[in-house]
Formats: sequence, C-alpha cells, structure tokens
Amino acid sequence: MPKVLIPTPLRQFTGKQDAVAVPGATVGEALNALTAQFPELRKQIFNDEGKVRSFVNVYLNDEDVRYLGKDATAAKDDDTISLVPSIAGGRR
Amino acid sequence: MIRIEGAAWASMVAHAEGAYPNECCGAMLGSTDDGVKLVREALPLENAFAGEQAARYELRPEDLLAADRAARERRMELIGIYHSHPDCDAYFSQTDLKNSCPWYSFVVLSIRNGKFHHANSWLPNVEQTAAEKEELSY
Repeated sequence: MPKVLIPTPLRQFTGKQDAVAVPGATVGEALNALTAQFPELRKQIFNDEGKVRSFVNVYLNDEDVRYLGKDATAAKDDDTISLVPSIAGGRR
Repeated sequence: MIRIEGAAWASMVAHAEGAYPNECCGAMLGSTDDGVKLVREALPLENAFAGEQAARYELRPEDLLAADRAARERRMELIGIYHSHPDCDAYFSQTDLKNSCPWYSFVVLSIRNGKFHHANSWLPNVEQTAAEKEELSY
C-alpha cells in the first residue's frame, strides 16, 4: 500500500502516527482512504466541495501530482505521498 | 504557545536583518510537548517571490518538502514558518492570511531600519479568514 506522510500538526488526528499506509491505486483513492480512516483529517485536506484545499500540494515521492495525473496519478505499494503546504505572504 | 531557543532565534534575526530591505522566510524545526512548541533550529529558505521582495515572500513547496524531510531525519518536526516585515509591524496581513496554512505557527519579525524591532506568532484558521495571536517567547 502507498504510504502518506503526516505533517506534524496533523498527527493529532492520526493517533500520533507520522506515516499511514492506506489502500488505493491512485493518489486520490489513497487520500480518500486516509480521511475515511481518520475523518477529522478531512477538513484539513479537502474543502466542502471535496477538492484538495488550495494551500495543499500533493507530492508523489518527489513530484507534484499537478504535473503528473493529479488525483488520478497511479500510486504503487512503495510510493510515498506527502502533503506540502503552499505558503507565501508579505507585509502588504 | 511557541518558544524559540536562543541559537535558533539568533539565526532568524540575523537572516531577517541580512535580507533587509527585502522580506526573508524560513522554516522552524523542533518538537511539540503538551501543546508547547519548542523551536530548536531555524532553517533559512530562499524567498522565491518573482517580483519586488520588499513586501512579499514565497516559499517553494519543494523547499518545504526538503525541510520536512530534514526534520524527520534529525528526529525533529516542522512546526512553523517565519518571515520578516521590513519597516512595519509584525501583523498578519491579508496577503499573509490568504497564502497561509493552518497547520503551522507563523512567526513574523518586524525589522526597522535594518534592525530587529519586535515579533509576533500567528495561527491562521483553515478557511484562511482569520489568524489568532499565539503566545511567543524567545
């Protein structure tokens, strides 16, 4: 099963696990399986429309899935999925 | 509450003063115990904003991915992000809010005339509509 790395502040929703192996043949299936297993995580990752929130970049190993197949990107047993925030800002 | 150890804090201030009059940005690594975040190391990252950096910063996701991996390898955690506000206060601007992530503490350092002035830490909500001030010590 692919493994999802859990960012530190979200481990409160995964029983303190820093990585969770979840079933899924695609990145989208894996993230849905993760949030089905840990429902409190869902609000952090998906918006009310069920889309991945704008501040979340999903990486499969070292690649941003937006440049692969997005949610339909195939995920294999030894793949690692990371949730990487999109962060910017400024004084004005 | 977030507490920043001396060496990490000195590194953040030196980074912010060195980047003046531009904004700087970086990651804070450490640990969390009983709701108290302890920053043990500051990791300066490149401001990747393509335009005028005196009022904007942007972190590359791949740099944050590397920071998270570095933290895991050293048995630490990525617990926050810092950036500087040159010649203004350490508020959380609308630009900060709309480009934030609720998972992390956001420490803002006010730099006036090239020197550190004050700092605040902020906790944005998941909707990116408000940020709560977090107790900060350094």
